[in-house]
Amino acid sequence: MAIPSAKNPILSAKNLCVESLGAKESFPVLTDLNFSLEPGKILGLVGESGAGKSMIGRTISQYLPKGFAVTKGTLSFDGEDLVSMAAERRRNLLGRDIAFIPQEPLSGLNPVLTVGQQMKEHLLRIGLAPGEHWRERALKEFEAVHLPHGAALLEKYPHQLSGGMCQRILIAMAFASRPRLLIADEPTTALDVTIQARIVKLIAEMQKRDGTAVIFITHDLRLASQISDEIMVLYAGRPAERGPAKQLFSAPAHPYTRCLQLANPNISGPRRGLFILPERMPGLRVLKELKGCRFASRCPNAIEACTEIEPPLADIGPNHIAACIRTEKTPDIVPPPLAPGREIASTRIHLNGEKLTKAYTTAWSPFARRNAFKAVNSVDFTLGEGEFVGIVGESGSGKSSLARLVVGLDTPTDGRITLAGRDVTANGNAEKAYRREYIQMVFQDPQSALNPRRRIGSIVTQANEASGVHNSTRERMDRAAELLKEIGLPPDAAMRFPSQLSGGQKQRVNIARALCTLPRILVADEIVSGLDVSVQAQLLDLLLKLRDEHGFSMLFISHDLSVVRYLCDRVMVMYRGEVVESGRTETVFANPQHAYTRSLLAAVPPDDVNAEWSPVLAEAGYQVE
Amino acid sequence: MRPLPLWLKSGRVQTGLVIIFILAVCAIFAPYLAPNDPNEQNLLSILTPPIWADGGDAMFPLGTDSLGRCVLSRLIFGARVALTVAFSASIGAMIIGAFFAHVAGYFGGWVDWLIGRVVEIWLSFPPVILSLILMVGLGTGLRNVVLAIVLVDWTRFCRVLRSEVIVLRRRDYVSAAQLVGFSHWRTITREILPGTLPLLITLMSLEMGVAVIVEAILSFVGMSVGSETAAWGQMIADARQNIYDAPFNLIAPIFAIFFAVFGFNILGDGLRRTLDTRLTQTERT
Repeated sequence: MAIPSAKNPILSAKNLCVESLGAKESFPVLTDLNFSLEPGKILGLVGESGAGKSMIGRTISQYLPKGFAVTKGTLSFDGEDLVSMAAERRRNLLGRDIAFIPQEPLSGLNPVLTVGQQMKEHLLRIGLAPGEHWRERALKEFEAVHLPHGAALLEKYPHQLSGGMCQRILIAMAFASRPRLLIADEPTTALDVTIQARIVKLIAEMQKRDGTAVIFITHDLRLASQISDEIMVLYAGRPAERGPAKQLFSAPAHPYTRCLQLANPNISGPRRGLFILPERMPGLRVLKELKGCRFASRCPNAIEACTEIEPPLADIGPNHIAACIRTEKTPDIVPPPLAPGREIASTRIHLNGEKLTKAYTTAWSPFARRNAFKAVNSVDFTLGEGEFVGIVGESGSGKSSLARLVVGLDTPTDGRITLAGRDVTANGNAEKAYRREYIQMVFQDPQSALNPRRRIGSIVTQANEASGVHNSTRERMDRAAELLKEIGLPPDAAMRFPSQLSGGQKQRVNIARALCTLPRILVADEIVSGLDVSVQAQLLDLLLKLRDEHGFSMLFISHDLSVVRYLCDRVMVMYRGEVVESGRTETVFANPQHAYTRSLLAAVPPDDVNAEWSPVLAEAGYQVE
Repeated sequence: MRPLPLWLKSGRVQTGLVIIFILAVCAIFAPYLAPNDPNEQNLLSILTPPIWADGGDAMFPLGTDSLGRCVLSRLIFGARVALTVAFSASIGAMIIGAFFAHVAGYFGGWVDWLIGRVVEIWLSFPPVILSLILMVGLGTGLRNVVLAIVLVDWTRFCRVLRSEVIVLRRRDYVSAAQLVGFSHWRTITREILPGTLPLLITLMSLEMGVAVIVEAILSFVGMSVGSETAAWGQMIADARQNIYDAPFNLIAPIFAIFFAVFGFNILGDGLRRTLDTRLTQTERT
């Protein structure tokens, strides 16, 4: 395998292996990692969660979890070995020559210190020019990352700022020392799509200014291909493919890269089906026993030979390597055909909202006036039989508040909701009982949505428990088995607790609970956000399959425009509690009318790697943060 | 055989349970274990030193007090009062406190405000003085001691549990339970209570330790059970006069109180470490 002889790589790894050392046995976490990063270049690290992406960042800082150690190979920074380096020396490098941008901007800042105090501490540590006051320097750094009102910002605490602003401050801090290497670990995953675009562009701009080498860790292949020079796709701790970003994205050689690409719905052009990667990445224990290719069990192209010997990383083009013995077959992987567009048979309207408004007020107290804030402002909408309607918008746009009104967790302050011909605005006990028959909700965070002390079988049949009908243990276990079969979980899952399931499985259970009484309408609040694209594709597929069987309609709330485009017949765009645009999905996406919709669409990295990604960085009339 | 549950594996929990078991055996089988009647006065042998000291009497292993009553027997019978108060007072305080905590945390709004203020006013009274005042009003007797402690200490449960209920109340699974049509009562008992139970149990075992101390204080000032019943606080009060002649009369009940409170506290700490879901695995071990 030929590694391009870089002149002076800033960071290079040779046969790097990281293992988790247990008392009895040890498991490989990262295997045979080879890469070199030249100054001024961006390396994108892509893979599903558990692939070992973050472990690389932690190896560089030698901040490995307990019991993990580098067992083989070298990792050198500008010629010095980071692994064997004295702790003192490494401390001097970290934060100065090697900077980090964390995933969660809020947890990257200390909540009890002002931004100014933290900035001061950091600037004094990295050293100031003689005669320079930390304050002037801080303002200069804020200006570089386009943060307005720097002086006022210094007095603020992190919780008073938005996630995007916190991330900008962290970027200002990271670049203050003019680092030679920057590690950005999913820096935009927790942010909205428009803010993601701005942050990514900002990192790229700063990186050009200082000629910094960047390791950009992300699960989004499309985003990585837009900003990186080179991409390394990791699978289960081992590189599956590495190559120049554009080439790798337009002609992936490894089937895993291809599958990842096809698992994500496209944002432009005709809609296509999603490639469903089956099951999950093998666990550490399985990997150790595995002889052949670690992707073979999920690979559509796998043959007998794949399970016998681990394929070496072979050259397949200039600077392009892939660990597959059948790379020539990769382009044959095509997405399944799109499910035929259903004609909505009846035009009966299930759910109708007129001028819905919800104002939230501060907590009750006899000594303080209650302040009101309009989360949902005069929203009109309809949902027909069998129809999937998407609601998109950034966080704080009132999407979730609208969902709570629709399912009856909150009562509207104004307006009217009609459900299958009956006015349910009042939301008393009678309305709640009526609503229950028709409408159920799937919650966002599977962690919080499933009671950790109930078994899965009991969770999915909760509706029986509430109604008292079919509530015998026998009947409930039978119903649970049926539901688990429908959502594709093994029957023995009924006796397990939520903590024993993976994130995707939990989300399936979440769907099953809502389906238990076969409601006519589902309200799904961000149910695929935070999941890997492969799991996301599995869940989207499941929803479509369940619709074919049961014919329910759905309000699908998401900040991910490509998912909404794939799944929904109609779409509503919300901004600050109001619907600014709505219509048939194809029409809205092909020809957006409202400026806000256009800026949302422009913020999504394009499907075509050669197309120019030009997100609207600041829109007149729409406040940025 | 099924493996021991995690909380039973903890050394702290085991230590606490052993101590409480020893005390419980003493309390239940007091008439069989005690060498003498705890109230029988042997005026001929007052202030005898313990058996290992010079002049010790084999009849009174831990010596006698100023009225010639057997210290060991009084100690063993005193465990009855201490444990009765510990268990009933903590259960009573738990029931009242947990009830108001769940109501306040679950319903929120003015109910929460009202309960919160009542608790704050309640907590502004010095607890021992409050229980003394209650004892004056209620009169002495075991039942009234328990009642006084319950009325003083329910606020402790209410405060701590309320914040836990609020955290759980915001979980989506509580909303989900409401959506499938759970009544408020069922939502609280089936969805929220299982989550607060570990904290409840932990608080209860700590409260038992507190109850033992409060009972000792009350009986020290003679406001607890009548003088015909042996109690540890009373023994301390009696031994005060002869502190120089017979120090062991004072040391024995103090040690008994220490032993009991230590047992309850270490049990509570062990339970907190093993049952509290907020602690990570590493903090537990």
